Amino acid sequence: MDKLGVYVHIPFCVRRCNYCGFYSNSIVDTGFSGAKSSQPLPTLSPDAEEAYIDGIVRKLAMYGRHNKKPVKVDTVYFGGGTPSLIRPDSAERVLAAIDDSFGLDDDPEISMESNPGTIDRAKLTAFRKAGVNRLSIGVQSFDNDVLKLIGRIHDADQAEEAYMSAREAGFDNVSLDLMFGIPDQTFSQWEETLNRAMDLKPDHISFYSLQIEENTPFYSEYKEGLISLPDVKLDRRMYHYACDLMREKGFHHYEISSAAKPGYECRHNIKYWTFADYLGVGASASSFIDGARWTEKPGDVFADSDKWQAEQGEEYHVNDFLDNVGEYAFTALRMDRGIDKDDFEARFGRKFWDVYSEVKPELAGYFDDGLLTEDDRFLRLTEAGIDVSNEIMAEFV
Amino acid sequence: MSEEEFNEIQPLQDIYEDEEDADYQKYIRNFSIIAHIDHGKSTLADRLIENTGLVAHRDMKEQLLDNMDLERERGITIKLQTTRLVYKANDGHEYIFNLIDTPGHVDFNYEVSRSLAACEGAILVVDATQGVEAQTIGNVYLALDENLEILPCLNKMDLASARAQETREEIEDVIGLDASEAPEISAKTGMGIPDLLEAIVHTIPAPSGDPDGKLKALIFDSKYDNYKGVVIFIRVFDGYVRVGDTIRLMATQKDYEVTEVGVMAPNHRPAKYLRAGDVGYVCAAIKRVADARVGDTVTLADQPAAEPLPGYKQVKPMVYCGIYPAEGEKYEPVKDALEKLQVNDAAFHFEPETSAALGFGFRCGFLGLLHMEVIIERLEREFNLSVVTTSPSVVYKVVMTDGTEEMIQNPSNLPDPSEMDHIEEPITKAEIIVPKDYVGSIMDLCQKRRGVMQSMEYLTPDRVELHYELPLNEVIYDFFDALKSKTRGYGSIDYEFVRYQKSNLVKLDILLTKEMVDAFSMIVHESEAYERGRFVCKKLKEIIPMHQFEVPIQAAIGQKVIARETVRAYRKDVIAKCYGGDISRKKKLLEKQKAGKKRMSKFGKVDVPQEAFTAVLKYDEDKK
Repeated sequence: MDKLGVYVHIPFCVRRCNYCGFYSNSIVDTGFSGAKSSQPLPTLSPDAEEAYIDGIVRKLAMYGRHNKKPVKVDTVYFGGGTPSLIRPDSAERVLAAIDDSFGLDDDPEISMESNPGTIDRAKLTAFRKAGVNRLSIGVQSFDNDVLKLIGRIHDADQAEEAYMSAREAGFDNVSLDLMFGIPDQTFSQWEETLNRAMDLKPDHISFYSLQIEENTPFYSEYKEGLISLPDVKLDRRMYHYACDLMREKGFHHYEISSAAKPGYECRHNIKYWTFADYLGVGASASSFIDGARWTEKPGDVFADSDKWQAEQGEEYHVNDFLDNVGEYAFTALRMDRGIDKDDFEARFGRKFWDVYSEVKPELAGYFDDGLLTEDDRFLRLTEAGIDVSNEIMAEFV
Repeated sequence: MSEEEFNEIQPLQDIYEDEEDADYQKYIRNFSIIAHIDHGKSTLADRLIENTGLVAHRDMKEQLLDNMDLERERGITIKLQTTRLVYKANDGHEYIFNLIDTPGHVDFNYEVSRSLAACEGAILVVDATQGVEAQTIGNVYLALDENLEILPCLNKMDLASARAQETREEIEDVIGLDASEAPEISAKTGMGIPDLLEAIVHTIPAPSGDPDGKLKALIFDSKYDNYKGVVIFIRVFDGYVRVGDTIRLMATQKDYEVTEVGVMAPNHRPAKYLRAGDVGYVCAAIKRVADARVGDTVTLADQPAAEPLPGYKQVKPMVYCGIYPAEGEKYEPVKDALEKLQVNDAAFHFEPETSAALGFGFRCGFLGLLHMEVIIERLEREFNLSVVTTSPSVVYKVVMTDGTEEMIQNPSNLPDPSEMDHIEEPITKAEIIVPKDYVGSIMDLCQKRRGVMQSMEYLTPDRVELHYELPLNEVIYDFFDALKSKTRGYGSIDYEFVRYQKSNLVKLDILLTKEMVDAFSMIVHESEAYERGRFVCKKLKEIIPMHQFEVPIQAAIGQKVIARETVRAYRKDVIAKCYGGDISRKKKLLEKQKAGKKRMSKFGKVDVPQEAFTAVLKYDEDKK
């Protein structure tokens, strides 16, 4: 039976971070003024949460009715925004709706992103009980100055506390999100953050270089010259330091910005890079099913519509051959194993290098410089090649 | 309704069957409608057509004579149109009205003057809510130059704000026409139209040419038809023209055999001949519109007229700009489209040119900025092409140290300063009419635009006419917009080229990462160079995205840098975060990067969005 991943977008935050370009609304219930362990956790206004989760449940039911082939949902990912702001019973409702609409597989991976300023042991225990079995904690940095600069609502100690609470609550699959290449960040700050993270012995690490996105406070501040970024050289040094450290600690660096203890690779995220089907529900969530991609408009979730996305037009795009091969190639290049040319041929009916015969000469330089490497079955980026991954991926789209 | 259907429904009632009566010219009226822009000219033309029963009401589109979507949308007539109406007057006779709708913009003054030359009279439409405006006067003078009888009428009388009496007085005081009898109409509602039709019969003189004389006909327009080739529109003054005649175009001295003649009613309706007093069309296997020049005289090859009709001149483009295929667009389709547009527009010129920044493209010449905008919009709409345009430039005259003269259409072709003695720029004579409260701010504006005031007069106690000499390059850049915004829409301008004049001009270059981008070069007055340079640098800093490296933006005159800004570096080459499965977005980023890589080689390494080329022109908007 076919498998399906489900992404659930929770577009609410206590406060928007200075770098974040994701769809989110700042919603804080009364009286919250920065999370401190002595204070109660921030919550969403019950009406807003109710209305939003109702929408998600309705959407799931709708997609379930329109779905024609039997599938089992083997991964669920609560992303955001700040999914950990919702109540555990809301998560339970969503999971029940997924089970009702499609059916949950045995042993599904159910991930949730969380902000350390929004969780404690009790809440995490409840989430765990609701079915969430993988927790990703948005630590970003263990340096309080850095955290303040990027606009996080928590400090370093709270992040560590959140990790401990997660373990105590029974999470045996915990990931830490870390960020480098942050304005004014020094190499030693990164080194310290990374080592402190590794000392906690997480099962998974996501580490990514801060991207300045348009329509964020950072974009205008940076363009105005109010903040400065580490230069490319330092940024790459930070990245490769992380790669080396992960390898040393026995982590599997399975995707450009993800590493995990063997067996703890994120099954849901891997779907994105291996051309697998996933359904996104919630404000501006993206889906890829049966070769069609669409992204929901922010307000869609509230619309009481029984229309399958295909009937709603606009954002719905049915991939043609070139879309398919291009996406397959560039997403696969994010994975350490690279492009599986045999799988490519099996899926698309043509040999990989026949499709990309014109691109091959353009790539000669990358092979010569040791940025790309190829064997009979796989074409992959080398670790040095990751530094220019966009340039190489762009050749395939 | 197609042309065929039209002819079927209304079989060719051959008006020329019994034309033995020597009186036939008595029942012809040839006239134009003249007005200031927006005073309701095209709407009036619609009403006349509707009221003479030529086109059924259900087939009426708004502004029937404005053929192009663009014309209807902008509410201006760009290409002139002509149509033949039959009106049954109160005296019981049927009159033939040949209505020639003229372009409504100062860019097309020559075409207007030739259309007027084809007429005996003109209806002067004055918006009774606005009064007399600069182009009203400009157009009246053009009509008076052609000795036309002018029939004033007051339009928009359905509006509460109409001031009939004041407008009459203005027409009398400012233009010197008797407006006491001027019909009060509303082109929009149809009010007063019957009176106007009668007034046309009584006021506008009948033509009085000699049908037995040698053929003399004025070309007042031409267009290209896919089936017929070039169709020329003529007014016959003397003689006859028939199918099978060999005609001669007197300016080009080329002969052609006539394959079809006819009248516009409102589409082509063939006839046996056209004769003195008639307005109609002729097809004669002419291949290019440029061969049938507006203002030229048509005569017969075997019996040529001794003298051509007066007033012919060859129109020359006043404004030039570069047009380049935009990113992802190819050269050939743009070339084909420009050729097609030129076939229909003798005033539009283009030739290939190359730019280091933009690659292969074209240098294009226009009558004015509106003409330029129209052509560019048509490229985009009718041909679905995306193009990049460079700063419009007037034609400068460069006098070299050895005394020779060169005309420069493209700032990047300006010779080395050491070889130039001086540069001359085109100067226009401008008449600006404004309510008296705005005189101060308009004098300010003209001063800033290097204008020299010649005189000023009060047309009425409230309205002032300012006479200025203004450099053309100051007029073409949004002077009109500035005038409108500073006078709350009440100001109006009419201008014409008068002469070249020595001026202190410099070439302002823009450099990105120390490399000159030729498409940004412009010629400006020295006094403005610093401010303009700073403006362009600032604007480009806003528009040019951040790169992986710093992008210095410099403005320079020769070797001397006069302004500088820097775009900071930021882009990373690893999109590291996974976007909740939003592959489409990631793919777009990659596609952009790929396209950027192609373009980047052209601009050195800098990715310059195409909007930058037009944004740097919007100088005055930001200056406010």
